[in-house]
Amino acid sequence: MLWGVQGISVVVVIMMAPLVLGITQVVKARLQGRRGPSLWWGYWVLAKTWGKETTVPEYSSWIFRVAPSISLAAMILVAGTIPWAGRVPNSWPHDLLTLFFLLALERFWVGLAGLDSAGTFGGLGSSRITTLGAGIEPALFAAFGILWAVSGRTAITPVVGHLSLLPWGMATVSYGLVILAELGRLPIDNVDTHLELTMMHEATVLEYDGRLLAENQAAVAIKYTALLGLGWVWLSPSLASPLLTAVLHIVEIMGTAALVGGIESRFSKLRYFQVPTYLAMASGLGLLAFYLVMTGGFN
Amino acid sequence: MIATLMTENDWAAHNVRRKNLGAHVLGVTAFAGGRISIHWLMPSGQIAEENWDMDGVEFPSLTVELPEVAWDEREIHDMFGYRPKGHPDLRALVRNPRWPDGFYPLAGPNAPSKPQWIEVAPNNPAQTVEGEGVTIMKVGPTHAGIIESGHFVFSIIGENILHVDLHLFQNHRGVEGQLQGRPIGSVWPLISRICGADTVSHQTNLAMAVEEMAGYQIPEEIQWQRILVLESERILSHLNDLAQIPAGVGFSVANQRALAMKERWQRGLEVIFGHRLLFDTVQAGKPLDVDIEALGTLIVELQREWRPWRSLVQGHHGFQDRMEGVGVVRQSDALRLGGQGIVARASGLTFDARQQMPLYEGWPLDYASETSGDVSSRFKVRLDEVEASWRLMERVLQRSRIHGALPVWEPPSDLAGQAVTFSESPHGLNAHIVAVDRGQVIRYHVRSGPFRNWPLLAKAVAGNAVGDFPLINKSFELCYSCLDR
Repeated sequence: MLWGVQGISVVVVIMMAPLVLGITQVVKARLQGRRGPSLWWGYWVLAKTWGKETTVPEYSSWIFRVAPSISLAAMILVAGTIPWAGRVPNSWPHDLLTLFFLLALERFWVGLAGLDSAGTFGGLGSSRITTLGAGIEPALFAAFGILWAVSGRTAITPVVGHLSLLPWGMATVSYGLVILAELGRLPIDNVDTHLELTMMHEATVLEYDGRLLAENQAAVAIKYTALLGLGWVWLSPSLASPLLTAVLHIVEIMGTAALVGGIESRFSKLRYFQVPTYLAMASGLGLLAFYLVMTGGFN
Repeated sequence: MIATLMTENDWAAHNVRRKNLGAHVLGVTAFAGGRISIHWLMPSGQIAEENWDMDGVEFPSLTVELPEVAWDEREIHDMFGYRPKGHPDLRALVRNPRWPDGFYPLAGPNAPSKPQWIEVAPNNPAQTVEGEGVTIMKVGPTHAGIIESGHFVFSIIGENILHVDLHLFQNHRGVEGQLQGRPIGSVWPLISRICGADTVSHQTNLAMAVEEMAGYQIPEEIQWQRILVLESERILSHLNDLAQIPAGVGFSVANQRALAMKERWQRGLEVIFGHRLLFDTVQAGKPLDVDIEALGTLIVELQREWRPWRSLVQGHHGFQDRMEGVGVVRQSDALRLGGQGIVARASGLTFDARQQMPLYEGWPLDYASETSGDVSSRFKVRLDEVEASWRLMERVLQRSRIHGALPVWEPPSDLAGQAVTFSESPHGLNAHIVAVDRGQVIRYHVRSGPFRNWPLLAKAVAGNAVGDFPLINKSFELCYSCLDR
């Protein structure tokens, strides 16, 4: 039963990814006073891009060609590591460290691919995402600190019920901040910009088109959907029924996508040199929550 | 005319003295006969002229003494083949590598209008910084988005810009060559289309030049109408520029709302003046067809959207934080390089050519000025200028009750003489130097505001973060096509 729910949830999460991006886009457009695209816009873009001719820069190697597939595969696996039913049938596939590793793997290949064609913007983007990664990874560990403090394991399990409101709230804020950075969302990176000099993730994929670009876009969409859902999986209570829990999380993902649209409309991008401060704040909150739980003061 | 005997030292001394008196260069104009004229706008509003008559193809360069004329002299070198002696940087500015040797578009009646282009790989030497860890980053001339052509060569180290070399003048339209030989009465549509953002200012300069040469004084009512259309253009341009600055930091709500205001203003102007971009509106001696009532209503409607937008952007901490201390233009640089318009007024200078324009005489004007010279100052000056322009328009609308039909004046067909006219365009001092003989243009030199501000952009950018360049660029929002000769 649990495995069945998990399997179906992973497929649903992957299939709904373009819709989730579409929700964010539509909310952003409405808040800006525009009508915006259709909710199904993401599917249309993917199909269109997939059907186009794929060209590869003259001075690029096999790295450029395989990187999008690796990112896409890593993100599909990320969706698989998250226990959508709220329970862990067997902890090994649902390990936090596996998830972190998959995220690092994606960053590594996207970064390499950005450098591979030796274009100026690709190099700039690669430099930025790897620099950011050095701050995001410890912040992720810090945000998930209370998970280990509560369960003593690195398996992804719901923490609610095991701790009081204060450390839970701090961990939630910490997770929210670090996930916006990991997803390349405002106030860290702007996915909608056409200004090459300000781009981070977008700059690394500037030279892609056709099928390879579609793979990159699919990977971004799945990562977005999975990581929005992950927050609910470990920070919110799960219901008695695994199936209902999974359905609830999927609804919650859509709500969060709308929330991100709201956040992105409200904020402008931080200066690049201020991003470390932002990540330090996220890490600090996570560590403080961890400290509170470990010392037992607020349990 | 008796040629005055001027030595090279006199040439430098005369011009430097003008600069020290607080004058502004209106233009450095070459004439095919071998004369270089520098026109100065004196603080009193008088226009002074310094001439150098060449003996051969060389003239003494003033770039060392007056760095602001560096590009003027390079342009003359490319367009006429006259050589500014002692110029420190004589790389091609306007000249395209495909032009054959010895081809100078404005050199004289013998210059071929369509030369045989030569096939060469583009090779435009760039000024870069060399050293360990320095990367050369080339951006453009084609950009993502709806942006004109401009090539930027950045020398960067890590995330910091050490130096940027501007390669503008990418599209050669042959504007000044096109104007030569045409009857002055027929150049209006061309002048109207030199630049989409400053078109009214260009049209007004042409109209004033024709009227000045013919000695015609337009009636008060037409003056009012010109103020209205000039200020309408200023607001249109400022609304656009104000919309672009938040876009540079991903603040899309402010960006989209300002674009919506701009669109509303533009649709209103289309109804009132007959053109969205205000092309073909101001003509020598002719009254405009303005619906005064509609203009007043439009202003009131726009102000209703403007106030909440202004408090949104001014109260947004993240946005203000991005603008402060970024892209600073020092006052001394603005002064030395002859900065114009908003760029100068955000750096503590107070020059606004409307103070010297007879058109605005008698109207109370609030001149905006800020001192810190950063992106935030340029943003603030624009905010204040939009409101100041609305106040001025409301005053004009209150007073201008037009009774009966206005007189229509036709310029004489055998116009002759030379006129130098100027106006304050949304992007700074805009000057036209026009020489006409028997009704035909013999020389038409256009020097618009962005020309003097582009070198200041390069100065302001050095030392800033790469990621801040789009923001700084947008805070200048300079016109590329004004440089596309």
